[in-house]
Parts: sequence; C-alpha cells; structure tokens
Amino acid sequence: MKLASLLMLSVAISIFSFAPCVAAEEFVGLVKSVEGQASIARGGETKEVVAGMDIKMGDVLKTGGDGSVGLIFSDDTIISMGPRTELAVEDYLFEPIEGKLAFIARILRGTVAYLSGQIAKLSPESVQLVTPAATIGVRGTHVLIKVD
Amino acid sequence: MAKSHLRKCLALAFCVYMITACSHKNVVVLVPDPDGRVGSITVANAAGSVEIDTANESTAIRDAETAPGAPAEMKQKDIDKLFGQALAIQPQPPVHFILYFEKNSTRLRPSSLAMLPDILSAVQARRSEHISVVGHSDTLGDKSYNLALSERRALVVQKLLVKKGVDEAFIETTSHGEENPLVKTADNVGNPKNRRVEVVVR
Repeated sequence: MKLASLLMLSVAISIFSFAPCVAAEEFVGLVKSVEGQASIARGGETKEVVAGMDIKMGDVLKTGGDGSVGLIFSDDTIISMGPRTELAVEDYLFEPIEGKLAFIARILRGTVAYLSGQIAKLSPESVQLVTPAATIGVRGTHVLIKVD
Repeated sequence: MAKSHLRKCLALAFCVYMITACSHKNVVVLVPDPDGRVGSITVANAAGSVEIDTANESTAIRDAETAPGAPAEMKQKDIDKLFGQALAIQPQPPVHFILYFEKNSTRLRPSSLAMLPDILSAVQARRSEHISVVGHSDTLGDKSYNLALSERRALVVQKLLVKKGVDEAFIETTSHGEENPLVKTADNVGNPKNRRVEVVVR
C-alpha cells in the first residue's frame, strides 16, 4: 500500500516535471537578424540578443539607440524593431491542426514593422498588435507602427 | 479682468503643453506586402475605430481616450524616415517546399528531386541557420510503420541537403507519420499528396 502510493507519487512527479520540458521544445520563433545593442528579458533574467537565439512566449525585447532586431516566428510572421523600441510577445499559439491560434504583441515604444504569417491568414481575429493608445487588427498584411 | 484673462491663457497654454509633452502618440501605417498586395487593418480603442485598406495610408492616435484620426497618406520619404531602420533589418519571409515521395518508399519523385537547387539557393539567399525538415506519410498501413517511414523520408532529405553543403547543425528534422496530412483521408487510404517532406527555410 505504502509502496504503491509512493510509486504513484513518483510517477505523478515525473509526469509533471516532464511536461514543461515538452512544451519548451516547441519552436515559437527565432532572432534572424540583429544590429547594435538589444536585450531580451525572460522570466526575470535579461540577456543580450544574438542572432539565431530562440524567442518564447512572454519575452520582452528592447533595442538601444543604435539597435535593431528582426524576428521570424514559426507561422512565418515577421516582426522587426527599430532603435529605442520595446516589444512584448504576449501570446503565441500556432497549432493549426487543433485550430489553436493566437498572436498578441504589445509595442510599448519605438518603431515596429509587422508582416503577417499563417496565423493571420487562418484566423485574422486571433492577431492583435497592442499599443498604449489603440489595438490594431490585421487582415493578411504589412503594418508599420510607431509609439512615441 | 485682464489678469483673469491672462490666467486663462496661461492655463490653456499649460494644457496644450501637457498634452503634447505627455501624450504617447501612436502612428500606424499600412504598407504593401512584399508581393505588392495590400491587406487591411482596423485601428481601434475605447473612443472609436478606423479602417485602412489603401497602401501608405496612416492614422495617428493621440491617446487611448481619443479616437484614431482620419486616414491620411504618408509620403514614402516620411515612411523611410520613421521606419527605415525597422525595415532595413526585416528578415526575408521563410520559404516552404513540399517534396513528394513514391508510394511506401523513401524515393523522391523526380519533380521533387528537381527542386533541390531551389532549396539550396533559398538557404544561401537567407544565410539560413534554421531549416526545418518534416516527414509525413499517407494513412495506408499502421501508424507506427508510417511514423518510421516519415522519419526515413525526412532523413533522406536531410542527407541530401548535407551532401550539398548545408551544415547539419542548421537542420532540424522531425516526423509526423500519418498524423498531419495535407489532404484529409480516412484511415488506410493511399494519397500521393500526403507522402511528403516539408522543408521550411528561415
């Protein structure tokens, strides 16, 4: 009895500890290009942005006065950021088979170019570009946004 | 009398100053896609919304409590001035290739094999270090067999790319078996469109 419950507990622990690893494997996006100074904040840690690094949901990217960054997401969405720009990847979900789609980016300041990917094509209402003064909805397109 | 007038003036000037100094003015511009097509956008907040479906039309939004301004054309030189750096770093869109295979086989169909040079030039043009190779099968036969078949197909493509000089470290190979068909079919149905490997060059 005791052994059985201990066994169950260990199974439960291994399942729960394994689950986040699987989720972390899912490719969300990558930094394709970077120039000048740029940082990425993830889970309380801030790192320098380097080309080729992975992007995850919840990341906050910041560019310096001479910085610019280009991102490619798994659904082909392209985001590029000019200098003195801050952008948060608030929500990202690309599971077309299950119909689970979401793309929410918050632009806190600076200049951003958004080029739509498959999420916008399959479900335009799932895409939101949020600025301090308004929210932008897209229909398969290319948008430039500036936040003072 | 004159004093109160002056005070009013000063108060007004101060208000104007505060609005210009503290407002987080946003500007949104719709521009053509790389293929020249023009989509549409809706810019909305609590006070109102604006639709734009013409290239280079823009709207300015003063703050969240003020409706977005009427669309106005933004000159190309102003677009370049404001967004030049963001546009200069914009990556090329990824390219997708679908390579088809013979039935129950890891042999590429000739027309698909002929696409290899296009894949390689896409890799070169993007200096890609992120290439996905995803194997698939149709639903003929059992699931585990098809998973293995799709894996072998993906490996064939991966090896072809490596042989042509693509760094192995840049290729991510996965296999979906019969779970992710291009054309939905019942189980145990052969379909040439589902016997495939998808390559994405980023």
